Amino acid sequence: MRQFFRIVMGLLRELADENAYARHLAVHGRVHSGEEWRRFSEERLRAKYARAKCC
Amino acid sequence: MKILGYFIWAAVACAAGIGLGGIALIRGEHINSLWLVVAAACSYATAFRFYGKFISARVMALNDKRATPAERLRNGHDFEPTNKWIVFGHHFAAIAGPGPLVGPVLAAQFGYLPGTLWIIIGACLGGAVQDFVILFASMRRDGKSLGQMAREEIGRVGGFVALVTVLLIMVILLAVVGLVVVNALKGSPWGTFTIAATMPIAIFMGLYLRYWRPGKVLECSALGFVLVMGSIFAGQWVGESATLAPVFTLTAMTLAISIILYGFLASALPVWLLLAPRDYLSTFVKLGVVMMLAVGILFVRPELQLPAFTRFTDGTGPIFAGKVFPFCFITIACGAISGFHSLISSGTTPKMIAKEWHAWPVGYGSMLLESFVAIMAMIAACVLQPGVYFAVNSPAGVVGITPAAAVATISAWGFPVTVADMSALAKDVGEQTLFSRTGGAPSLALGMAHIFASSGGGRAVIGFWYHFAIMFEALFILTIIDAGTRVGRFMLQDLLGHIVPPLGRTSWMPGVIASSAAVVGAWGYFLVQGVRDPLGGINSLWPLFGISNQLLASIALCVATTILLKMHGAKYMWITCVPMVWLVSATFTAAWQKIFSPIPAIGFLAQADKLEAAVRAGAAANTAATQTLIFNARLDAAICGLFMVLVAVILADSVRVWAGILVGSGDRQVHEAPFVTSRLQAEEL
Repeated sequence: MRQFFRIVMGLLRELADENAYARHLAVHGRVHSGEEWRRFSEERLRAKYARAKCC
Repeated sequence: MKILGYFIWAAVACAAGIGLGGIALIRGEHINSLWLVVAAACSYATAFRFYGKFISARVMALNDKRATPAERLRNGHDFEPTNKWIVFGHHFAAIAGPGPLVGPVLAAQFGYLPGTLWIIIGACLGGAVQDFVILFASMRRDGKSLGQMAREEIGRVGGFVALVTVLLIMVILLAVVGLVVVNALKGSPWGTFTIAATMPIAIFMGLYLRYWRPGKVLECSALGFVLVMGSIFAGQWVGESATLAPVFTLTAMTLAISIILYGFLASALPVWLLLAPRDYLSTFVKLGVVMMLAVGILFVRPELQLPAFTRFTDGTGPIFAGKVFPFCFITIACGAISGFHSLISSGTTPKMIAKEWHAWPVGYGSMLLESFVAIMAMIAACVLQPGVYFAVNSPAGVVGITPAAAVATISAWGFPVTVADMSALAKDVGEQTLFSRTGGAPSLALGMAHIFASSGGGRAVIGFWYHFAIMFEALFILTIIDAGTRVGRFMLQDLLGHIVPPLGRTSWMPGVIASSAAVVGAWGYFLVQGVRDPLGGINSLWPLFGISNQLLASIALCVATTILLKMHGAKYMWITCVPMVWLVSATFTAAWQKIFSPIPAIGFLAQADKLEAAVRAGAAANTAATQTLIFNARLDAAICGLFMVLVAVILADSVRVWAGILVGSGDRQVHEAPFVTSRLQAEEL
């Protein structure tokens, strides 16, 4: 049950880009801030919405 | 233990056979929706365990010792080894759109059987195979896109044609989903208010996420969900208000223009302000509602009211004209096989796969789940009384403008319905009328509301559930419209940038405005055409969309066949070649009929000729509107012809490559990334 909950939360965080943000902070050795989120989010969303969305 | 496994799988396969046999052979009585659920679930399980595994092991030779691009190119952004169930959910959320919901609802005009069989068989042997093989190919090629693989494996022509085809499909897709929203909201103050409210809610979410609580997407989405639910309740109050109801009671044309303006603004505005927050919200709502619908169907186990076959298999259907072959197979695309999935399978997903064997559940399994969503949509449509289903989905141009004329026509077809029935139903769901609400969304919402309300609450809550379902459909359709317009803009800027270099810069505002206007103008034109169409628009636009989407699937299967041919010679090419031949046959037949059929309800050219003859004979006024209808019919024929030519070019190019490989004169080089041993540990996932 705990494993299932972990996976569901992992999926929700992945869909919400929260996991990607955590990876971004870890890879670049930075700490969370509003400015950092905006920088990450702009780059992430630019790539995300350059791809076709499924019907 | 092994024997027990054989026994269980034999039982599952038998249950699939009995389920399929049951839905195919039971006649003269209503069947329970559980038959469809069992037939589909057991068929998927059997196909996944045996066919999917055969492709994984024998054809692709998946190897967990081989490092995937997620491991080799790991950068913390796109390339990241991820838990397989998270990738599964991510991939499913990306491929699940309105297609598998709307297509089966429209195809139910043939009865439940043709569409259901196509959804199950098409997904197991075609759609899941396409998604899986393209995912595998992209994963072995460092996450390359379909266009890049087409260019590499077939040739430069294939790559260019794939890009142009995708751009054209986007235009038709955006128009047709826009039309679905227009038809769901016209004359509905409750629905219009609810959807209008999602825009300020999305902007609030965008500001919240950017300035007030940066990075808290789940928290922000939960807040957005509460506000959207509140807007449904507020919508009921607006719908009953003598002052506000007229403000939100809009005509189809006003709604179409509003959506066009919205598409333009959303394409040009910063993405974080409107598009992204609503996309997060719609993804969560979509997954939640799909699960709710599955639970609701299992809990209620409703009986199907539509018969296995209706009289409209002969091609005289009111929702769209054309015989069951080929039109059932292009009307249901995403639930059985969808070319658009190949773009997702060669997009983000291959960059997240941690181990090669994870591609099996992600590529093959996700499509089976998508197909199950289509089965649920089919059930939701078929639980409606047939008379109600046809009254909602048939355009006024076919059944008559007045309620009395409509019920007389539909009852004469053998599907009794009364004006009183329709009025009571409209009152229950808080609508002024449910006649001729074409496009599939309102009837799907009615079916879903029926299932949810039967789970508890009854008629007292059916209005809420109806508008909840409309909100759910419109929410992610509008997300597709703004995201699609933006993607179309990028594609157009990419193409135009070769001619006028500044137009290629996505940050150059005049270029952004001009290209956004061009893309919005293109799909907006077809949307307005659909609104003006006396046959409701769906009759011409949905087949165009289905044809274009299935032709994109043919392109993907061409690429997949070329790759399998290079890997194994002719031995396994049937795996992708058989669905491709079927798809090309169905789609080219449909496209040919849409252009050249002498029946005006089917053939675009015959439609134009009929209108011209009517003008000449004085039976129709020679107005600008009539001339526009004539022009539009010929334009649709030209678009359809263009799709056929583009795909024929890729097919011819592919056959040339295949012939070269088979006779030994062609390039058999497989363009896979070199083997690198995986060092990824299970605990890292």
